[in-house]
Amino acid sequence: MLENYFPILLFILVGLAVGVGPLILSKLVSPSRPDSAKNSPYECGFEAFEDARMKFDVRYYLVAILFILFDLEIAFLFPWAVVLQEIGLFGFLAMMVFLGVLVIGFIYEWMKGALEWD
Amino acid sequence: MVGLSHYLILGSLLFAISVVGIFLNRKNVIILLMAIELMLLAVNLNFIAFSHYLNDIAGQVFVFFILTVAAAESAIGLAILVVLFRNLRTINVDDLDSLKG
Amino acid sequence: MTFFGLHFQDIVFYTLATILLIAGLRVITTRNPVYAALYLVLAFFTAAGIWLLLEAEFLAIALVLVYVGAVMVLFLFVVMMLDINLDKLREGFWKALPIALPVGGLMAVEMVMIVGARNFGADVVPAPAAHPADYSNTAELGRVLYTDYLLPFELASVVLLVAIVAAIALTLRDRKDSKSMDPAKQVLVKKADRLRIVKMEAEVEKNDVVDTSAQADDKGAK
Repeated sequence: MLENYFPILLFILVGLAVGVGPLILSKLVSPSRPDSAKNSPYECGFEAFEDARMKFDVRYYLVAILFILFDLEIAFLFPWAVVLQEIGLFGFLAMMVFLGVLVIGFIYEWMKGALEWD
Repeated sequence: MVGLSHYLILGSLLFAISVVGIFLNRKNVIILLMAIELMLLAVNLNFIAFSHYLNDIAGQVFVFFILTVAAAESAIGLAILVVLFRNLRTINVDDLDSLKG
Repeated sequence: MTFFGLHFQDIVFYTLATILLIAGLRVITTRNPVYAALYLVLAFFTAAGIWLLLEAEFLAIALVLVYVGAVMVLFLFVVMMLDINLDKLREGFWKALPIALPVGGLMAVEMVMIVGARNFGADVVPAPAAHPADYSNTAELGRVLYTDYLLPFELASVVLLVAIVAAIALTLRDRKDSKSMDPAKQVLVKKADRLRIVKMEAEVEKNDVVDTSAQADDKGAK
């Protein structure tokens, strides 16, 4: 059973090597003579206007939060889809109740205008 | 050969690390939430290890529900954090003392 | 397959366990919350690998999808959204170490003594029989999740509903400075809503004459 995952492990290791290898190589091989002008952030030739860590708008957060909750709903759908043939009508109704409760939440957020950007 | 005890020891070490993290970062609510997530991960590791070695799928069902509750918890926790920061401009636990009387 | 008396699986386990513990340590000790969140991503990812070793494939994928993909993004959003004074939050970081280390160490030692090889070693709890090649962890989970665990399953939906409502109620607020327009309302506008025709008396010439005479009077007074 676990032997089947060996190619995936190999894939991850090769992927890591391909990603990390050039970084290490360029660290070792390339000449490095930094000065303060080279190290300063490049902003079209101007002095940097502001800190790179600018504040995000709260609205992104609300979108992300709603994404998580509906992401979990989808995660519950996967095993259901796999075994729907075996659990039959009972399982189908169970999932419909589950989805119904979440649709209430969906209607709520729609009515509150949480899905509108401005 | 790695046995059940190896996984359990890994889980308990991770749990101890997150307990230490809660002590060290007791002023920063964000890191506190992250330490709680680490604790839940350690607990989930225990559940899955037992589920595998005792050949009982119930442990994995439990982990699935823990994941659900933990995601809801961190979503609401971070929402409270955002509202807190909006009202008080701080997330330092020491500044949240308006209930001190 | 064995290397130096270690099974290949054991090598994978020890590698992943080392990465997991180091990532966990960095989460709690790093200065910048952004790095802490990224180390937490590494910890979750490695834990997913360990869950794969334990043949919990569905949950490993769900951990990557839900946690690495969504919850950690949420953490990063919040960290980026708040501009916090990092040094202020690090105050007393090392002061707590004399308490934290003994407490954590004691907990670790106690738990390891209980769950160690004496009670849960390979000879006490033998490795389970290997599953057949067509075994599906997802199907196995689904078979009990929607039947035996029906009530917890439905309650999970209520938990999610509460989270949705709470998140919206807490963070959503009307913006007073919003200059947005609603295209639907723009399309629905009728001529009658915007244009008003007012009946007015026609201007009469005689009024002007009166005005100029009045101005002339003013000038005369001066």
